[in-house]
Amino acid sequence: MEVKPRTEDFALFGGQPLFDSIRSISNLVQPDFDKFLSYSRLIFEDQCYSGGGRVEQLLESRLAEFHQVRHSVSFCGGFWGLVLAMKALALQGRTEVVMPSLTYRRLADIVAWAGLIPHFCEVDPLRLCITAETARPCINGNTALLLGVHPIVNSCDGEGLEALSAETGVPLLFDAVESSYETLNGRRVGTFGRAECFSMQSSKLLNAFEGGYVTTNDDALASHLRAARNYGFDADGKLSASGMNAKQNEIHAAMALAALDDVDEQVQVNRRRYDRYKVGLASVPGVRLVPFDERERNGYKNIVVELLDDWPISRDLTLALLHKDNMLCRPYYYPPLHQKSTGYAMVWSDLSQTEDLAKRFLMLPCGYFISEEEVGQVCDYLRAIHSHGGELARRAPQAR
Amino acid sequence: MRKILPLAVFGATPMFERPIAKGQRFFPSWAQYESMFRDIFERQYYTNHGPLAQELEGRLAERLNVRHAMCVTNGFIGLALSGQALGVRGGVVVPAHTFVATSRSLDWTEARPLFCDVDPTSGMMTAEVVAPLLSRQSVSAILAVNPWGDCCDVTGLQALADQYGIPLYLDSAHGFGCEIAGRPVGTFGAIEVISFHSDNILSACEGGVICTQSDDLAASVRNMRSNYGMGPPVPVVKTGNGRMSEAQAAVALFNLDHYAEYKQRNEQLFGTFRKGLAGIPGLAVRVPSGVSESNYQNLICLIDEATFGLRRDYLWRILRAENVLAGRGFYPPMHQSLSTHESPTNSLLHTEHYCARTIELPMNQALTKEDAARLIELLGSIQRDANVIGRQLAEAA
Repeated sequence: MEVKPRTEDFALFGGQPLFDSIRSISNLVQPDFDKFLSYSRLIFEDQCYSGGGRVEQLLESRLAEFHQVRHSVSFCGGFWGLVLAMKALALQGRTEVVMPSLTYRRLADIVAWAGLIPHFCEVDPLRLCITAETARPCINGNTALLLGVHPIVNSCDGEGLEALSAETGVPLLFDAVESSYETLNGRRVGTFGRAECFSMQSSKLLNAFEGGYVTTNDDALASHLRAARNYGFDADGKLSASGMNAKQNEIHAAMALAALDDVDEQVQVNRRRYDRYKVGLASVPGVRLVPFDERERNGYKNIVVELLDDWPISRDLTLALLHKDNMLCRPYYYPPLHQKSTGYAMVWSDLSQTEDLAKRFLMLPCGYFISEEEVGQVCDYLRAIHSHGGELARRAPQAR
Repeated sequence: MRKILPLAVFGATPMFERPIAKGQRFFPSWAQYESMFRDIFERQYYTNHGPLAQELEGRLAERLNVRHAMCVTNGFIGLALSGQALGVRGGVVVPAHTFVATSRSLDWTEARPLFCDVDPTSGMMTAEVVAPLLSRQSVSAILAVNPWGDCCDVTGLQALADQYGIPLYLDSAHGFGCEIAGRPVGTFGAIEVISFHSDNILSACEGGVICTQSDDLAASVRNMRSNYGMGPPVPVVKTGNGRMSEAQAAVALFNLDHYAEYKQRNEQLFGTFRKGLAGIPGLAVRVPSGVSESNYQNLICLIDEATFGLRRDYLWRILRAENVLAGRGFYPPMHQSLSTHESPTNSLLHTEHYCARTIELPMNQALTKEDAARLIELLGSIQRDANVIGRQLAEAA
């Protein structure tokens, strides 16, 4: 059946929505319930609900193995894991964190919680990420930390940034919240830099309800972070490092373990959804799918497209149409962080490339709630937008 | 030499086979747990202010009779977000006699702690101990603490805060269900934070709630925590992540349903200990006196070394060897454990004295009446043999 043959079929103009419930960009993958219960058994045996219980210990060793790294340190969320890792790694007496502006909307806030100042760099226009070339001009005598951020499709310039860090002596931390499954040049994400931070919030590849973890090969850093998440109490119960309560609870850890057990199968399904998008979008003019580098291991969860110059309507109108038809799509990082108003200091110079890129991309429905067949419908929907193009724009002047 | 009771600290078999943690640790049964989580899996709603988190907030607001009850990841994050919402800076008066979370929450604001002493009898903050600090330096808020199912002099502190035109906010981590003159904890000060850590009577495994009557403060907290369309978007200095998951909310809702039962159990156990320990020289059970209603979630004893015959730290070690994971209250006090803070210029002698005498016995849900009787018996024997035990421990050291 043809999707939206007439402009009045679009829900924005009164038509029936394409989907009867929301298709979002969140993963919301459901782990196997019996596996979740079997890990939960340990909670009942030990009557320990948080703070270094057996389930969390098991999760930490499983995640370390998964990433082929010495340590994984669990947190109640990736947000606070990043804050504590930044505080731990930043060079004393310096304040700036070199990081991209085209990234997660709260990342500058995370830097501010760590007591540091974001210094925004450009991103590579093809890879949409920070590279050694884009970071280098921002390094100065006040640079405390390099924050490599892996984009949601493929990885950032891990090896280039490692070389830059070695050359300048500025420590390198990665925000890898969406990159649990990825490799870069065959090497597991999780092993780069001094540490990498991941999220297990339910919208991510691994669903732990809420949660996050930091991987590192640095024994001292791992001990420091384990103290910092528990108010600063070290293994001997002495209050050493600065800290907070950022402990993972045992139920969330049980959920994470169940999710980890299923991750390979999940990625196979994600791969089929991605392949369906690849086929479906190939014939839609004006839309370019941002491709995964298929030589690497990928989670294939996130679907990012670029609206090209021959796309007939604005991104805002495209998003408005999608929303009304129950596809809760989002722009790919808009506004860029340097254009947001905040209550703390930020540093940047010319970011015109970032500003341009921030207008072009959007994320399409993905994850557990969308079937391969529905992916085909999303592609047909975009094709319908393209063919109705000008008329849609005329009918919705307020949305342009 | 008289034969003393065989003690695990000298190599005997511990009195309890498995360690008994001091916290409450209430939790659903396996069948209840399975059913709760089957529901969550069926709904496929895992976090982001889901139906259970919304229900919990609604029920808490109603029960505590407070305008805004905002659930968060844990009590510490609740305190940090509260300090941010209040915009505290400069000095904030906080007792040195508290858990590390209280003063450390200020590390995540623009303020620094100014440690005050406590009343020597209650171990609590009073207007009298705080007043001299306010007249001497610039202070932007008072962060008071309501520990152990008891409350400090909230009324006096509120009057003092009003007099100086600064906010009072409260760390009432242990205070769920308590009342002062019939008014629920959660309704006092500009903001009050209650913890749902599993050691407290209302457990979400980890968790907490930020309570306030102020629409402005609530809007600010929600915009930092994540707003979910509730209330107006307002500018904040920076957002945080303070979400409570559906898993946490499910556990908290279950425990909330069983609160009356838990409180009754606590009260009975507390009564058993109070009666049983009454005859032991040099050991006094601390009875909540600043509240009209307590949750009896903490059993605090004060050891008078001279009368009891044994150092508090020796008693602590003996109990731990018996698998009774007793605590030492808020020991060491904050001004002695946080090297990063400037040394206080005011006297904190009462705090130090209180900290050195405190021992906290388990109020764990697994502890039966029979266990309590054995523990009471053990404490009596330890006191009777205190001199011999003390000598042997000193020699072993």
